[in-house]
Amino acid sequence: MASTSRLDALPRVTCPNHPDAILVEDYRAGDMICPECGLVVGDRVIDVGSEWRTFSNDKATKDPSRVGDSQNPLLSDGDLSTMIGKGTGAASFDEFGNSKYQNRRTMSSSDRAMMNAFKEITTMADRINLPRNIVDRTNNLFKQVYEQKSLKGRANDAIASACLYIACRQEGVPRTFKEICAVSRISKKEIGRCFKLILKALETSVDLITTGDFMSRFCSNLCLPKQVQMAATHIARKAVELDLVPGRSPISVAAAAIYMASQASAEKRTQKEIGDIAGVADVTIRQSYRLIYPRAPDLFPTDFKFDTLWTNYHSYKLRKLM
Amino acid sequence: MPASEIAELVPQLHNVVCTVNLGCKLDLKSIALLARNAEYNPKRFAAVIMRIREPRTTALLFSSGKMVCTGGKSEEQSRLAARKYARIIQKLGFPAKFLDFKIQNMVGSCDVKFPIRLEPLVLSHQQFASYEPELFPGLVYRMIKPRIVLLIFVSGKVVLTGAKVRNTFAFSVFQDKKELLHSY
Repeated sequence: MASTSRLDALPRVTCPNHPDAILVEDYRAGDMICPECGLVVGDRVIDVGSEWRTFSNDKATKDPSRVGDSQNPLLSDGDLSTMIGKGTGAASFDEFGNSKYQNRRTMSSSDRAMMNAFKEITTMADRINLPRNIVDRTNNLFKQVYEQKSLKGRANDAIASACLYIACRQEGVPRTFKEICAVSRISKKEIGRCFKLILKALETSVDLITTGDFMSRFCSNLCLPKQVQMAATHIARKAVELDLVPGRSPISVAAAAIYMASQASAEKRTQKEIGDIAGVADVTIRQSYRLIYPRAPDLFPTDFKFDTLWTNYHSYKLRKLM
Repeated sequence: MPASEIAELVPQLHNVVCTVNLGCKLDLKSIALLARNAEYNPKRFAAVIMRIREPRTTALLFSSGKMVCTGGKSEEQSRLAARKYARIIQKLGFPAKFLDFKIQNMVGSCDVKFPIRLEPLVLSHQQFASYEPELFPGLVYRMIKPRIVLLIFVSGKVVLTGAKVRNTFAFSVFQDKKELLHSY
C-alpha cells in the first residue's frame, strides 16, 4: 500500500549484448557482471558495506555505522535534511550560559503536519495496543489521503482516527467506532464522516463487520473462558444465519450472544458489564437478547456443557427481562 | 412479491425543495417587522424564515431577492407556495417577480413490502452501496444514473432523495433495482 511517488526513471546499466539480463554484483572486486556472457559491465562500483566493524552487544550511545536518522523515507518524502547540533565546547556558550547558536527548528518544513499526525497515530495505537503492521498501514493511508488533498479542510486528527479505523478493518481485526473514539479526541460523528470521505477519496471499500470479529476481544476483556467464547461465537453466527436479528448492529448481536453464553455457563456476566465492554447500552443488549432467546436451543453448539440450563435461569427473571 | 407488482410501485413524494428569484433586493428587517409569520435572527442566519399554512411550507428569503421554498408535497404545491410567498412580498411593497423557478430536490419514500437483506446487496454493489450498521441502520445506495441516493432499510422501506425531476423516481432503473432486491 505504499504510494509510488518516486519515478522509476533512473538509467540502468545493462550488458550491451544482453540488455535483459539482470547484472550480478560482485562486491569484492566492485564489478557488475553479466551472467550470460560474463562481461564486466560496471567497474569500480562503490562498496556499500560498512566501513568498520561494529559490535552490537555494547550499546554505546553512538552507533558508528549510522550516518543519518533512522526515519523511514517511504513516508516522509526522503528525510535527507540535516541540522547543526548543539555546541560542546566552551566557546559555544555566551556569557549567560545560553548557547550561542540556537537554530534547531524547522527540520522538515514540508509535511511537518504529516509527521505530527504520524506521532498522533502512534500514540492512539499505543493506547489500545495495536501491532506495528496496523500502524504502518494507517500511516500509509494517511499519507495517501494527505497527498490527495481532497480532505484538506478536515482536522488532521480526525483523518488520522478514521485512517486508524480503516486500517484495523483492512487487516481483518476491526475496532468499533466507539473504541477508536476512546483513544481519540474526535467525536464518533466526525470520525464517521471522515471515514466515508476517505473511502470515497481513495476509492477503496472495506468488508462488512461480522459478529465473530469482536468475540475474542470482548470475551477476553470479560475474562470468559474459551468454551464460552466459542459458544458465543457460534450463537451469534447462527443468529445471523437464521436472520433472527434483522437490522441489528453486529456489535449488539455479539453482545447478546455473549450474554446468552455467559449466563448458560459458570461464568455469568451482567448485561451492564457486557454493555460497558462492548460499548452498547444494556437496553440494546436486552432487545437483541429478546430476539434470539426463543431459538436458544438451536443456537448453542451441540457440545456445550450447560452450567445453568436455559429453561431454568429465566423462569424467575422473565418478568424483569421482558 | 411478484415482479409485476414491483414495477407498479410509485414512490410517494414527501418533500420538494425549490428556489426562485424574486428579482429585486429585499429589506429583510422590514419584512420581518411587517409580515406575520416571519422570523429573522441576523446573528444566526442571514435570511427571513417565513411560513404559510396552505400549502404548509417554509421559505427562506434572502436579501438578494432569492428564495428557497421547502415542505411542499408535490411540484405543483411547491410552485403554488412559492407564488404565494412572492405575492406576500409584493403586498409588502417590493417589486417581486417570479424568475427562474427551479425544483432542486425531491424526497420520496416507498415500501417494497418484503424484508431486504442488506449484506448481500452491499457485497454485490460495493461501488455504489455503503452500509455501516455502526453509523446508520440503513444502506446508502448512490445511484449514478439517475443521480439519486436511496436509503434502503431492512424492513423493506426505501427513501429516495436527490431527484430534480419526478420521472427519475418512477424510473425503469428503480424497477430493476427492486427486482434485484427481491432476489435477496
